[in-house]
Amino acid sequence: MMLLPCPWCGPRNASEFRYVGETGPRPDPTTATPEQWRRHLYFHANPRGWVRESWYHRAGCRRYFAAERHTATNEVRSSGGHS
Amino acid sequence: MSDADRSADGPTVTIARSPIAAPEPLVPHRGWEVSGRRSAAALTITDLTPLAKVAVRAPMDGAVQRALGAPFGRAARDGAPALDGTLVVGSGPGEWLVLAPVGTAGEVREQLAGIVTEAGEFGTVVDLTHGRALLRLRGEASADLLAKVCAVDLSDAVTPDGAAFRSSVANLVTDVVRDDAGGVRSYLLHCERSSGQYLAAALLDAGAEFGIDVDGFRDPGI
Repeated sequence: MMLLPCPWCGPRNASEFRYVGETGPRPDPTTATPEQWRRHLYFHANPRGWVRESWYHRAGCRRYFAAERHTATNEVRSSGGHS
Repeated sequence: MSDADRSADGPTVTIARSPIAAPEPLVPHRGWEVSGRRSAAALTITDLTPLAKVAVRAPMDGAVQRALGAPFGRAARDGAPALDGTLVVGSGPGEWLVLAPVGTAGEVREQLAGIVTEAGEFGTVVDLTHGRALLRLRGEASADLLAKVCAVDLSDAVTPDGAAFRSSVANLVTDVVRDDAGGVRSYLLHCERSSGQYLAAALLDAGAEFGIDVDGFRDPGI
């Protein structure tokens, strides 16, 4: 079982969450080109190592939050706080 | 009696039913059909679906929360003067569930709408009575039963009397409230109406080893 630290509910089983994906800076909607939007929405770095990602606590507080996870070990380093 | 209450076969009564099949005998109670069964078992499960259930959403840590008297993760009885006889559950961040005696949903909704208006915050008040199912587990073994189907720590240190959380119970999203009754450990379980029969069956199955039995509805239920 993998535990994820929800900033609202505390550590919970990962099966209670929906994986949303890697998070990064959002392009400025007024100036971004379709190409930049596509890269932001669908292209991810997918490294072997630490990645900052967004999760949705569907079976709990129903909030999104950010967490840092190591993709090789599944170790979760920090919870990114409320979002 | 209005014309709508009459049929060719004689007078009829408008009645609501819980999604959970009730054991005999069936008795009417304020417009609901409930089970009149009485059980003396040490661990019982009771269908409390007829209770009024009203959801409130508003900013957390604001005036509405102060008026309701229950922060996220806690349940408070008679939290506000206007809400006598109710149980206010802080079911999520900026989200509350108010449980009240059968047939009072309209009044409670009005009272809560007044609280939200008075607080001057953007909020919503919705009557969920007929859209949700509510169960009560009662007995010292209820935590052992829940531990079989729920991963949250149910010890007194983590979830004492008055604690509330939402989690997966038998793989179903359920609001759980520790609401000890008469010094006996007890839990309220609140889920979508369409999942009520499943949750009741799953708990009866998990509770078989503890000798669980179905107890009928007893007023006021909370």
